Amino acid sequence: MRFAYYPGCSARSTCAELNVATHRVAQRLGLDLLQLESATCTGARELRAIDPAGFYTLNVRILALAEREQLPLMTICNTCTLNLLDAHAAFVSDEKLSHAINGTLAEEKLKYSGRTKISHFLWVLYENIGEARLRELVTNPLTGLTVAAFYGCHITRPPLRYGFVDSRNNAALERLAEILGCRPIDYSGRTECCGFHTAAHDEKVAIKLTGQHILSAKTGGARAMVTPCPLCHTVLDGFQREIESDLGQELGVPVLHLPQLVGLALGLSPEELNLDRHVVATAEIARIAGKNGAMNAAE
Amino acid sequence: MLEVQTSPRDGASRIGQAEHDDTLLARNSRIAPGASIVVRIRRQSNGGDRYDTFNVPYRKWMRVLDALNWIAENAATDLAYRWICGSKMCGTCAVRMNGREVLACWEAVEPEMTIEPLRNLPVIRDLVVDRTPFENKVARLEPWIERPDAYTGFPEPLSHKQMKDASKALDCIGCMCCYSACPVIGLGDLTDFAGPAPLVQLGQTALDPRNSPVKVARSLALTGIFNCVSCYKCEEVCPAAIPIVSRVIEPLKAKAAQLLPEHARHSRALRRIIAERGRVDPGALVLRVQGLRAFGRLPRIIRLLLRGKINPLRTLFGTKTTAAEPARRLLGREVSQ
Repeated sequence: MRFAYYPGCSARSTCAELNVATHRVAQRLGLDLLQLESATCTGARELRAIDPAGFYTLNVRILALAEREQLPLMTICNTCTLNLLDAHAAFVSDEKLSHAINGTLAEEKLKYSGRTKISHFLWVLYENIGEARLRELVTNPLTGLTVAAFYGCHITRPPLRYGFVDSRNNAALERLAEILGCRPIDYSGRTECCGFHTAAHDEKVAIKLTGQHILSAKTGGARAMVTPCPLCHTVLDGFQREIESDLGQELGVPVLHLPQLVGLALGLSPEELNLDRHVVATAEIARIAGKNGAMNAAE
Repeated sequence: MLEVQTSPRDGASRIGQAEHDDTLLARNSRIAPGASIVVRIRRQSNGGDRYDTFNVPYRKWMRVLDALNWIAENAATDLAYRWICGSKMCGTCAVRMNGREVLACWEAVEPEMTIEPLRNLPVIRDLVVDRTPFENKVARLEPWIERPDAYTGFPEPLSHKQMKDASKALDCIGCMCCYSACPVIGLGDLTDFAGPAPLVQLGQTALDPRNSPVKVARSLALTGIFNCVSCYKCEEVCPAAIPIVSRVIEPLKAKAAQLLPEHARHSRALRRIIAERGRVDPGALVLRVQGLRAFGRLPRIIRLLLRGKINPLRTLFGTKTTAAEPARRLLGREVSQ
């Protein structure tokens, strides 16, 4: 199964471990990833607001790169996924816009006809691998790991894209966590916002919002959190010390990227998945994964 | 015929929807006539704060408002709640039902409901909130049109396209669902963010092409609009289905970036970095937006350095990538001012 693969900016910089883990897990899953090297940033939230034309062109160019390879596109970032879905929607709904973009892309001998299927890694697991096959591939069930799924926003809202009346009803991560052998918990922060998108100019909103979510996960008994978005991860993990200072209490909740959690259950080692690159220590998770692995080997 | 990629009903992006009755049809048909529903209502008055529970006989197509009316008529005649039209026009009956902002007149009851007043506004009594903070904010934003030129008479040469975003904002019924759902407003005075509802009110005139840019700039300067975190909570709960983020807040941000460029430092810096490098190094973004202030987080910088998450050379000078050239070509020109 072959995919054009768009890692986004975070997974190539501050969350490079996510890119490493995705490639390793993809290999285990039998996914052949063609990384789109010349793909640009999708513009995060900022470009789409101040320069819609530039935003659409950058995103449609990424879709055109995948279409040139005649491959579906796999993403690993919530915001990139929504940006690409939005750009695709604008492209197919506005003939004048699509004509203008293709005019610009023609300079690079690229053309988009609107056929690229966009899919986040989370959806690929269900739609392309399938639950039954995934269960077969789980060689190291993460029994004993109580995990809090943190969806973030752009994989479950807006309703226009994802169709939920109430985005809290999304259950894809919890169902997956169960397949991997974990025990998912219910807590108030599941589909809340991490505040990443204003953090570059003022991080106090991110610190306050995410503090509530981590605290609620910890109070609910989570020993780890897992997120399908590197932007959420940056705040949950990278800002956790500042969040602890703000709350006046220790949290110490390790936060995994989704492919890392999957990788552990598929038998990859914490080292192979770059678990040591996180700010909050992941030793507890590595211990649980290692213990289960040893028990499975003994059986 | 090409189509917008929506999430198929059986697709992975909708997992959870079926088992949680997350469709309008499912919500409207989950209780059998004759059954009893359990309604817990948060009651606040004179410093008291408690939840009262009522068993309400279900009638077919029963709305939250019907349940409240039954309780007020049969079980708690002192229950305070507000409604006028009963048909999604007046915007006065919004409450939180099971943690979600809804119009009582337009929402089907659930078998067990906890009804609370809206958040982020003072409670007067029970489910009635004081809208004064919102109204004061809106008044301060001067949501009206000041023409830069003399009125040319009727009809004015306006196209649908020119009014496409303002017309969405004009669908607002002022119910405050979005204001209650907004997580940034929930943080109180931490930022100067005006919040979704005041911005939608402002958008009705600020996105109107007849308005004076000077006037629009004066209003936008008071909104703290770049503190919107783009979480889409407001869009999710809007009973008028206004795409608040994409059709009101983002167009207002675009105007702010043109008229008040110093307010849009973050957005403009991100655009410049993409145009120069093709991809964004978060460290470079923070450095450009915050300047020397960024070094106030020295402990974090050291932590990230130790984990190999940031690379000072890459932050300062960038790395050569094949994404840079196309980005430069596509974005090289500054957005017209």
